[in-house]
Amino acid sequence: MVINSNINNVKTKTIGEIFSKDPKIICRHVDVFYGDKQAIKDVSIDISSREIISFIGPSGCGKSTFLRCLNRMNDTIDTCKVKGTILLDKDDIYDEKIDVVPLRAKIGMVFQKPNPFPKSIYENVAYGPRIHGLSSSKEELDFIVENSLKDSGLWQEVKDRLNSPGTGLSGGQQQRLCIARAIAVSPEIILMDEPCSALDPIATAKIEELINQLGKNYSIVIVTHSMQQAARISQRTAYFHLGELIEVGETKKIFTRPKDKQTEAYISGRIG
Amino acid sequence: MNNNKPKILTANEASKIVESSVIKRRKKDARLKTYGRIAIGLAVSFLIFLFVSIFSKGIPGFFQYYVTLDVYLDRDRLDPKGDLSPVSLYNGDARSIVIESLYKVINPKGRKEKKAAKKIISTNADVRISKMVLDDPNILGKTIPITFAVDDDIDSFLRGYIKRDTPSSERRINDTVIKFVDKLSAENRISYKFSDYILTGSASRSPEIAGIKGAFIGSMLTLAVCFIIAFPLGVATAVYLEEFAPKNRITEIIEVNINNLAAVPSVVFGILGLAIFIGIFGMPRSIPLLGGMVLALMTLPTIIISSRAAIRAVPPSIKDAAYGIGASKLQTIFHHVLPLAMPGMLTGTIIGMAQALGETAPLLMIGMVAFIVDIPGGVTDPGTVLPVQIFMWADFAERMFIQKTSSAIIVLLVFLIFMNAAAVILRKKLERRW
Ligand SMILES: Nc1ncnc2c1ncn2[C@@H]1O[C@H](COP(=O)(O)OP(=O)(O)O)[C@@H](O)[C@H]1O
Ligand SMILES: [Mg+2]
Repeated sequence: MVINSNINNVKTKTIGEIFSKDPKIICRHVDVFYGDKQAIKDVSIDISSREIISFIGPSGCGKSTFLRCLNRMNDTIDTCKVKGTILLDKDDIYDEKIDVVPLRAKIGMVFQKPNPFPKSIYENVAYGPRIHGLSSSKEELDFIVENSLKDSGLWQEVKDRLNSPGTGLSGGQQQRLCIARAIAVSPEIILMDEPCSALDPIATAKIEELINQLGKNYSIVIVTHSMQQAARISQRTAYFHLGELIEVGETKKIFTRPKDKQTEAYISGRIG
Repeated sequence: MNNNKPKILTANEASKIVESSVIKRRKKDARLKTYGRIAIGLAVSFLIFLFVSIFSKGIPGFFQYYVTLDVYLDRDRLDPKGDLSPVSLYNGDARSIVIESLYKVINPKGRKEKKAAKKIISTNADVRISKMVLDDPNILGKTIPITFAVDDDIDSFLRGYIKRDTPSSERRINDTVIKFVDKLSAENRISYKFSDYILTGSASRSPEIAGIKGAFIGSMLTLAVCFIIAFPLGVATAVYLEEFAPKNRITEIIEVNINNLAAVPSVVFGILGLAIFIGIFGMPRSIPLLGGMVLALMTLPTIIISSRAAIRAVPPSIKDAAYGIGASKLQTIFHHVLPLAMPGMLTGTIIGMAQALGETAPLLMIGMVAFIVDIPGGVTDPGTVLPVQIFMWADFAERMFIQKTSSAIIVLLVFLIFMNAAAVILRKKLERRW
């Protein structure tokens, strides 16, 4: 709502196509500081509706930091300061008038380590709808829980033990429970920070399949350290290095014909 | 090998050196283990000594000697007004009736012997009869056997603390009394059984009828007040300091001071209570409400410190999960942080309360040491507490109070063990919620 006219008129060092025809999130000149230390430097990028975009780059380059800017999870870190503009559907999410509660209901998040609440499976999924008042009756809540668990591919495995603790599931099941918990509040975007790094290959394959499914209905931003994973699931890939967004583009192109030397070095395994 | 030039060891040389050092290390380990065992052994033997000495002294305190007399419950003398009201009964002549039935057994001759005989039965005998009549007026007009506690000196004599062969002038009871007691024994009228008074009686200067009920209830009331004040206040402080307070100079000073307060001698809190609650607010002395407030001051630092540790131990990933789904800070705290921290906070609180239960000094400062016969009915009735009762009894001269002191200590210990068991069970139960 602020900078509509010149929103696509940005000076950036990033190589490749940062713009999208149907942007859901628009980031312009985002800087992030931890105290005096700058973790993200002048990043501009669009994230489209219903696309799966992966963030790759060597560890410590700021992928998580940037991801956490998108739903203002960085607010919970006292020293963290975010500058620049991030628009969700043309609204500045860092505007003073914006409340983080509805924002985070719109932008769900899945973390690196599966972190179900120490409550029952049912309660884990029902928690979000309950605090946001998304259901007016027990039946509605049951319906939401069932649907979310079905969408996350967990329903068949847990439907008989909804009241047993979520922490008693296997790692992969826990992570899918966390995904179910995130989609239970009907978000538009899901942020995932290395969701498979704590899982074995079989569980990883299941989650990847799930992400592919979810990509039809949600925008998904996934941070991953596995280039194969990025190649398998995402339509676009963004390569970060030392806090800068070096290159963005179609995943196929990034992996076969990277334009930037650093990107090429990382992809061919020389950095990282 | 003699040149000092550093060189790389061969595998053989290295393993020899390692082997020789392994022997040394094993010896050191073994020595440390032995020291540890000695220390534990010492601690355990002290503990056993403590328990054995307290229980061997205290268990007899739960029992006492009784004398059984056939009493004719004369309606007119016991209930002069004839309306069976407590006032009428307490005005009655129960004491003389009991003494007369005693005389019938031992037949004292002359004024001197009669006077000596009166000493045998506890002063409480009339109260006992009044109570029996109040409970069941039908016994009036009948002759029934009733057991009365014997006077504490007789009790000590029967226990063998007062010896027969001590010269009469140095004994607390004279030969006449001993003769009467022997006669009662010969007629099988003396019995030794669980005391009617130790658990249900209140404070008294006569040790044979003194009990800890008043002090026990005083302790419960005081602890209740202490908990009601200290727990919410402590938890709220801990939540604020952990989750809301900015990290700056002022909060740092507050933190340091809370930690220091935990080490302040408890008597200081008593002086504080005396100066502020009594001095400025003009609260009455000796009441459990005041005692609870003073003990709350004392336990607050413990509760705050353990609650903060419990809150800090909640995994940040759980908070992330809550924030990530859009929970507000308050929801995150109340739905996730507090329930997970609760076992730790309760454990800290119960430890603090257990300390408070055993506290004497601050309560002496605010006058809970007063001699109060009535059992407190509420937090604003004057009362005393168990440790203070123990302190007072330990100070009395009568032989029987020594046993009662140990008995009261046993009750206090059992109370403490119950509290600690409650802490363990509570923690297990809350933690079992995965
Ligand atoms: N809470 C924090 N406080 C201070 N510095 C941080 C914090 N989190 C991350 N950083 C720093 O920011 C940089 C980027 O970190 P991060 O976003 O976690 O990288 P990535 O996810 O790409 O591995 C790193 O240099 C890291 O040390
Ligand atoms: Mg990371």
